[in-house]
Amino acid sequence: MSESVVMLMIGVSTFLGALGLIALLWGVKTGQFDDQSKFIDATHFDNEEDLRDAVMMEEKRKARLKKREEEKEKKKNYMPAD
Amino acid sequence: MMAVLKHWFHKLNKEFPLANIACTHCNLEFDESVMIIEDEGDKKLFFCCKGCQGVYHLLSSEGLDTFYDKLGDTKLQPASQKSDDLEKFDLEGFKNKYITTHEDGLYEINLIIEGIHCSACVWLNEKVLHKTEGVLEATINYTNNKAKIVWDPDEIQLSKIIETIRSIGYNAYPYDPKLQEERAVKTRKDYYSRILVAVFGSMNIMWIAIAHYAGYFSGMKQEFKDILNVAEFILATPVLFYSGWVFFRGAYYGYKNNIVNMDTLVASGALSAYIYSIYAMVTQRGEVYFDSVAMIITFVLVGKYLEVLSKKHAVDTLDSIMGSTPTEVTVITNKEKSLISIENITLGDTIELKPGEKVVIDGIVTSGQGSFDESSLTGESEPVYKQEGDNILSGSLCLDSVLRYEATKDASSSLLHSIVSLLEESITKKPRIEQLADAVSGYFSSIILAIALVAFTGWWFIGGDFEHALIIGISVIVIACPCALGLATPMATLVGISIAAKRGILFKEATFLETMAKSDLLALDKTGTITEGKPSVVHTQTLQKYDHNLLYSLVSTSNHPISKGIAAYLKQNNELLQELPLEDIKTIQAKGIQSSYQEKKLIGGNASYMQTFGLSVEEQTENTLFYFAIEDQLVARFELSDTLREGAAEAIKEIQAMGTRVVMLTGDHEQSAQKVAQEVGITEIYAKLLPQEKATMIDKFHEEGHIVVMAGDGINDTIALAKSDIAIAMGNGADVAISVSDVVLMDEKPGSIYEAYRLSKRTFRAVKENLGFSLLYNVIAVPLAVMGFVNPLVAALSMSLSSLMVVGNSIRIKTLKFKDRS
Repeated sequence: MSESVVMLMIGVSTFLGALGLIALLWGVKTGQFDDQSKFIDATHFDNEEDLRDAVMMEEKRKARLKKREEEKEKKKNYMPAD
Repeated sequence: MMAVLKHWFHKLNKEFPLANIACTHCNLEFDESVMIIEDEGDKKLFFCCKGCQGVYHLLSSEGLDTFYDKLGDTKLQPASQKSDDLEKFDLEGFKNKYITTHEDGLYEINLIIEGIHCSACVWLNEKVLHKTEGVLEATINYTNNKAKIVWDPDEIQLSKIIETIRSIGYNAYPYDPKLQEERAVKTRKDYYSRILVAVFGSMNIMWIAIAHYAGYFSGMKQEFKDILNVAEFILATPVLFYSGWVFFRGAYYGYKNNIVNMDTLVASGALSAYIYSIYAMVTQRGEVYFDSVAMIITFVLVGKYLEVLSKKHAVDTLDSIMGSTPTEVTVITNKEKSLISIENITLGDTIELKPGEKVVIDGIVTSGQGSFDESSLTGESEPVYKQEGDNILSGSLCLDSVLRYEATKDASSSLLHSIVSLLEESITKKPRIEQLADAVSGYFSSIILAIALVAFTGWWFIGGDFEHALIIGISVIVIACPCALGLATPMATLVGISIAAKRGILFKEATFLETMAKSDLLALDKTGTITEGKPSVVHTQTLQKYDHNLLYSLVSTSNHPISKGIAAYLKQNNELLQELPLEDIKTIQAKGIQSSYQEKKLIGGNASYMQTFGLSVEEQTENTLFYFAIEDQLVARFELSDTLREGAAEAIKEIQAMGTRVVMLTGDHEQSAQKVAQEVGITEIYAKLLPQEKATMIDKFHEEGHIVVMAGDGINDTIALAKSDIAIAMGNGADVAISVSDVVLMDEKPGSIYEAYRLSKRTFRAVKENLGFSLLYNVIAVPLAVMGFVNPLVAALSMSLSSLMVVGNSIRIKTLKFKDRS
């Protein structure tokens, strides 16, 4: 076994591990681990309905944004008759 | 949390014995006759109350009835219907205090949801909120039931959101996350990331180190060694500087304040081992110690993280106290009522209280009368009757009537507020314990550092060889640091803690064992700690024969501890008790209950209540009395008294025999305190103490130079618990009491306090033995290192041998024998 093989093996495996670590750190940073019980308990109810719910919430947000834009637009175009 | 749940189920089983029918919504079990029965197709539905019925139909009409499949057998609180204070959520003062406005005009609030028992409840709340128009985000934390809700103020008002939550049988109140939580969450996340890096680094270094050691014994070419060294170096660097940053910071603060602490030892040990290893790697001489660098950092960091976690829990419960207090009160000015935010109340304002309202400002009653629940302040469960001229304290609850009072203090100096701020303070700092724990290691680390420095300069001057001197200096630190002191204390306390946990005594932190072993004063609360806190019948007298079912039905209508005591007594002595349908039930707080059954008038209550019906009863006794009369004819008389917990007297005697001074601190009056004290053999009693006065007593003991252990169970004990060096809480006690405490007794037996004492003293002895041994090890090993005799093989062997010795000695704690109390 030559040195380069050992180097490659250690390098590749550590790199792969580091990728996992980075993913975990990202998870911590974005608050995915803030709730310990959610891991265990919430998985019971995980189904497509939740996905639909998430989409619905997203759409609610979008709808609101659109409404606001429209209102802004209206205000911009509003010209006082002088 | 667990303790609370346990308590809750326990209570349930007592109150509602099995073989009844379960409510379709909340799963609580009741007798069939009292339930609302409904036919739905071929299915029969049972409800315990209108509230549960309403929620059930709401959920099925919304298509959310899969909730019941998710719920399983979990029991819920019956859904109560109340909607009297909704308008307060839309007030300006409330908005300024709790609501944050986003840049795009959205509102955000943090709420605590009350009544959540399982994850199905969380699911239901989130689901319902998601379906609510105008709610843009709703997330509920499964662990602490805190919710974050973002909504559009143009589309929906907060009061409407709260109403929605209430309509499905839960309740919500706001809290301010900026007070504590944000900071606590941030530290926790920070530690979490650091631990991840540390664990990743040290685990990978370990398997590389295995190759290293294998090569050491079987021979390995220098080139391979170099590769392994470099790999270890790359992995150890982030562990030391990123994960270990907290220790460098701690050591720096210690340096600024001229204190050598555990952080100094860890930081200097790890750093010097790291530098030495780099030197060994570059010069290709000697062995590298990157593995011990990573291991030290990882282990000590995990220990620190556990501390951070327990602080976070305390913050959660504190938020729930503050959140349930009103932000506005009704003030009467010129005969007009107005809602004024509590910050704007000035001395002399007249405030009106409605039944069920919590008092937030101290004052004196000016008109009206009523009874108050002061249990959160004094720990006594009996309501206190107040009339004109009496003082009312914030934190108490107005039970039954409307009355007016004059503010004698403003919001920030009122009792409730000062309790909360004192608690906040005590959670963020607990200096005495840390000082004690750091004292030994402080001396040790300074001595080792000094020896290393002397060895280095000595070898340099005498030998003139800088390189050689440096290796010797560093090897002194390396050989002394990791195992000697690092393992001596934690290993022994770990064994101690696990034995304690098996016996139902939960120590929240290892260092508490040490502090407890040194303590020489035990302060005990009376109600709930020495006594059961539940009155039970000690003497009965039947004046005329009567139907026990009547009395049982009467007392079952009330939740008062005395009524519960009577009900429990009747259940014990009668096999078949039936609840009869009573009519016109009236409860007069602090006095008694009145009702009628088939035109017969039933009354039950205390002496003064009997007198209002023209029955002359007059007697003096230290026990509480309960009379029962049918048609104005006295038929029975009961004497009740709070019973001592099992084994209280023996435990206290044995603790006193250890040379510990035992005192009793209670909010109860002198007479009943004396009685209990005599029974258990305590001679030093302090009665009629308010929560802060209990805390002042603890401070006084501290000034006298005592190390104080305090045991208590109520909210009224919390400040004193937080001030004492070791706080012991009963497993069924108030949530706050449990979170500020250091030790929790799950079985609530006073005997466990004695066991905790013995165990901590035994553990402390083991710690001292371990320290003595590692000191001996250092006395031999360090001089050898100083003289330059230490080669890597000897160092590795002696290190692992010394650790084995420490582990073995610690396991000996398990031989400690307890009297078995099965």
